[in-house]
Amino acid sequence: MDEFQEILQDFLVESFELVEKLDEDLVELESRPDDLELLNGIFRVAHTVKGASSFLNFDTLTHLTHHMEDVLNKARHGDLLITPDIMDVILESIDLMKALLEKIRDTSSDDGIDVAACVARLDKISNGDLSGLADADKALADAAAEPEVEEKVEEEAEEEELDLENMDADEIEAEIERLLNQRQEEDKAKRQAKIAAGEEVPSMPDEPSEDEDKKEDKEPQAPKKAPAPAAPKKEAKEKASPRAAAPARSTPTTVEQTIRVDVKRLDHLMNLIGELVLAKNRLIKINDDVEERYEGEEFLEELNQVVSIVSLVTTDLQIAVMKTRMLPVGKVFNKFPRMIRDLSRELNKKIELVLAGEDTELDKSIVEEIGDPLVHIIRNSCDHGIETPEERLAKGKPEEGTITLKAYNEGNQIVIQIDDDGKGLDPEMLKEKSLEKGIITEKEAESMSDKEAYTLIFRPGFSTAAAVTSVSGRGVGMDVVKTNIEKLNGMIDIESEINVGTSMKLKIPLTLAIIQALLVGVQEEHYAIPLASVLETVRISKDEIYTVEGRSVMRLREDVLSLVHIGDIFEVERILDASEHAYVVVLGLGTSKLGLIVDTLVGQEEIVIKSLGDYLKGIDGIAGATIRGDGGVTLIVDVVALMQMAKDTKVSQVSAEATATSSNEKTKASDYTIMIVDDSKTDRTIMRKALEPMGVTLVEAADGQEALKILKAGDHNFDAMLIDIEMPRMDGYTLATEIKKYNRYKHLPLIAVTSRTSKSDRMRGVESGMVEYITKPYSADYLSSVVQRNVKFKAEFL
Amino acid sequence: MSDKLKEIINKQGAQQESVVDQLDDVVQLVGFIIGDEEYAVPILAIQEIIKPFSWTRVPQVPNYVLGVFNLRGSVIPLIDLRLKFGLTPKKQNEDTRFIVMRHGDDVAGFVIDRLTMAIRIKKENIGAAPDTVNGDDTIIDGVGKQADKIITILKVNKLLERTF
Repeated sequence: MDEFQEILQDFLVESFELVEKLDEDLVELESRPDDLELLNGIFRVAHTVKGASSFLNFDTLTHLTHHMEDVLNKARHGDLLITPDIMDVILESIDLMKALLEKIRDTSSDDGIDVAACVARLDKISNGDLSGLADADKALADAAAEPEVEEKVEEEAEEEELDLENMDADEIEAEIERLLNQRQEEDKAKRQAKIAAGEEVPSMPDEPSEDEDKKEDKEPQAPKKAPAPAAPKKEAKEKASPRAAAPARSTPTTVEQTIRVDVKRLDHLMNLIGELVLAKNRLIKINDDVEERYEGEEFLEELNQVVSIVSLVTTDLQIAVMKTRMLPVGKVFNKFPRMIRDLSRELNKKIELVLAGEDTELDKSIVEEIGDPLVHIIRNSCDHGIETPEERLAKGKPEEGTITLKAYNEGNQIVIQIDDDGKGLDPEMLKEKSLEKGIITEKEAESMSDKEAYTLIFRPGFSTAAAVTSVSGRGVGMDVVKTNIEKLNGMIDIESEINVGTSMKLKIPLTLAIIQALLVGVQEEHYAIPLASVLETVRISKDEIYTVEGRSVMRLREDVLSLVHIGDIFEVERILDASEHAYVVVLGLGTSKLGLIVDTLVGQEEIVIKSLGDYLKGIDGIAGATIRGDGGVTLIVDVVALMQMAKDTKVSQVSAEATATSSNEKTKASDYTIMIVDDSKTDRTIMRKALEPMGVTLVEAADGQEALKILKAGDHNFDAMLIDIEMPRMDGYTLATEIKKYNRYKHLPLIAVTSRTSKSDRMRGVESGMVEYITKPYSADYLSSVVQRNVKFKAEFL
Repeated sequence: MSDKLKEIINKQGAQQESVVDQLDDVVQLVGFIIGDEEYAVPILAIQEIIKPFSWTRVPQVPNYVLGVFNLRGSVIPLIDLRLKFGLTPKKQNEDTRFIVMRHGDDVAGFVIDRLTMAIRIKKENIGAAPDTVNGDDTIIDGVGKQADKIITILKVNKLLERTF
């Protein structure tokens, strides 16, 4: 059974590939009906599918393809000219074939689809009866099959065998009988001819020739010997399939050197590459650190070289693996010529489709997602864009409308552009319609630019068609386009001119697994925003933000941009004091824009998207996570969801929540806590000795970083800090600046204790937020009194 | 130091002796403390036990989900069992550990106050969960009775189940 499944899978993959190509070829055939090469190609497809399906016991499919083959074979031999009417029937049969294949894919059986009507029509054609393609009776079908068989006996042996599949056991036997007789007669004739030629025919050499006959006869005879009726069929099929497949394979047309690989394996490979990219990022970070610390050392250069080679190779590897997942967009484009053909017949319009850049490659997952949106856009162009031939002539345009579908690379994105030379979008009309349907308010309509008006076509429920046709007008399609493109992190850009045409650009990222991201900081957290959604970043000061109806907005050139603070969306605790300036990341998605306020911009980085797993999936606004160079996890912003969330997020009042912790009542001397930050153990001990008599609690830190860590841990409520200026890792000035960023430490007295005495040092101390400046050496009493003054030490504890 | 070591070895030896020969009847658990209680999970459900390190907060989750952390390239959720069990938050200290548990494809790290030890316990010494907490919703698998104490055994699949 497993083996069968495997064969079935291969069959389906092959068939779908063939059918896809078939569609395109057939439409081309209509314009060049006498192209023998093309006809042969199409014939081969029908033939291959027939052969394989008969082997796999899909009788309905075999039946259908067999009759298709008949028609095509006639056309191939010049007995039949392909007219549009005939083409309609052929296309119909191909649709049926597709439906059957899909059915097989889903249910592993081809039952339940009625092909009789179509087969009858095919038969009529192959009989040369072109008058009205109504239902033909069964007799006709049988009649059609009979002469066909005889015709082919002469030409291709394998076809004659394939016909067997359409007959029941009795018929097969009759057929075999007939063939045997025929062969024997032929042999007889040959022998007689030989005799006639005067050659002596000895009895001995005659034996082998008979043997040969027997050998050949054995194959057709086999069914007779087998008792069960099912068995002969199978045997016949086993013979048929390799032969049937052979002609298709041996064709000299461009044979690609390819192997089929399970997508899962590629996904796994992609995951591994992802890990490698993360490791590379980490290596680069470490290299930077080492460079800083051991500047000028000789080994640095070597390390540098290795790191850059590793990073180069990793990047190449990543691109190479990405390429293996790439498929040409042509795979999607292929189905459109057929669609346009059908649509133009249905709508009574003349439309030509021009394809360009089919070779442009996209990630497999994206190629799969992009088909539907394109169908909707093209349908829309046909229905609403291109005018009827009469209208076009009246406007002085060529009768035939043109839709251009092209794909090309633009930086890290693929652009798929759909242009039509139809009537274009009328912004006023769009607004009117939207007002009618209550999609927008009058106020919105007034303030809307033309470009914004174009985007109205993507609103759910919107439709400009006066009447609902089978093609469009339900107001669903374009909404799907927008959601699907947004899902791919893509953008849509529309340009249009009345009576000249409409141009739609879909900008889609190359791949989904590894993306370029902008890293932003808010308070102490970092978030990654997919760069594809970032239009620009702006630095603004606080007073450029206006509040309108509880929402923040800013003026960006001519536009008003609504703003939302990333901290409000992700419930970030405001520990750090917000600075005067902020950055606005302008996000663009499809056609809507939003300004995201962040505290800092960290930079651009290549990140690997990882899922948050089942436990945390579906968190609003988070698309996933990535691992950064330092091994930490950074969350990736889901821009689509974020835009949605922004609508419901009100500005949070930046409350001065600095409920000073120092307000705790002091009941004894040890309630006072003081931190001593100095890299010298001796100095720390001197300070400790000076302060111990007061009875206060003392905490020591050896440098700025350690001090910060202790502060952050929040185990103690410090009343003052004594800070040395010159320390490794983080000096006193930096420490003071860092501490002052925290709201809760805003009023914590910082006392510099240093041997630096110059005025500029003092100035820097003040700038960084130090309140006192004690120069070494100092007396214990002096230190103690300064501390007492600053912590408001209660005299009674002394 | 060596005394302490000896003590531990003796203790372990004693425990081993108490283990019955038929291993089938024995369940191996890892015990840990949250608050004042000792809990245990089957040793096979534990992928690893690690010392605490930094994690990243995730918005819009209950307070007991601390966030996510990086375990050798995988992003794994981190759940504080103290908070999940409704206890007050406590600073992580040097006894704090992350226990990474796995059930099928679900993996998560759990913050616990302190590890106790690996426990071998006879199946017959495991009682059902108290009636009051019975039902499908309980995360208590049973109660293990030991000489001097009882241990609550937790269901790993329930711990790893998303309840929000």
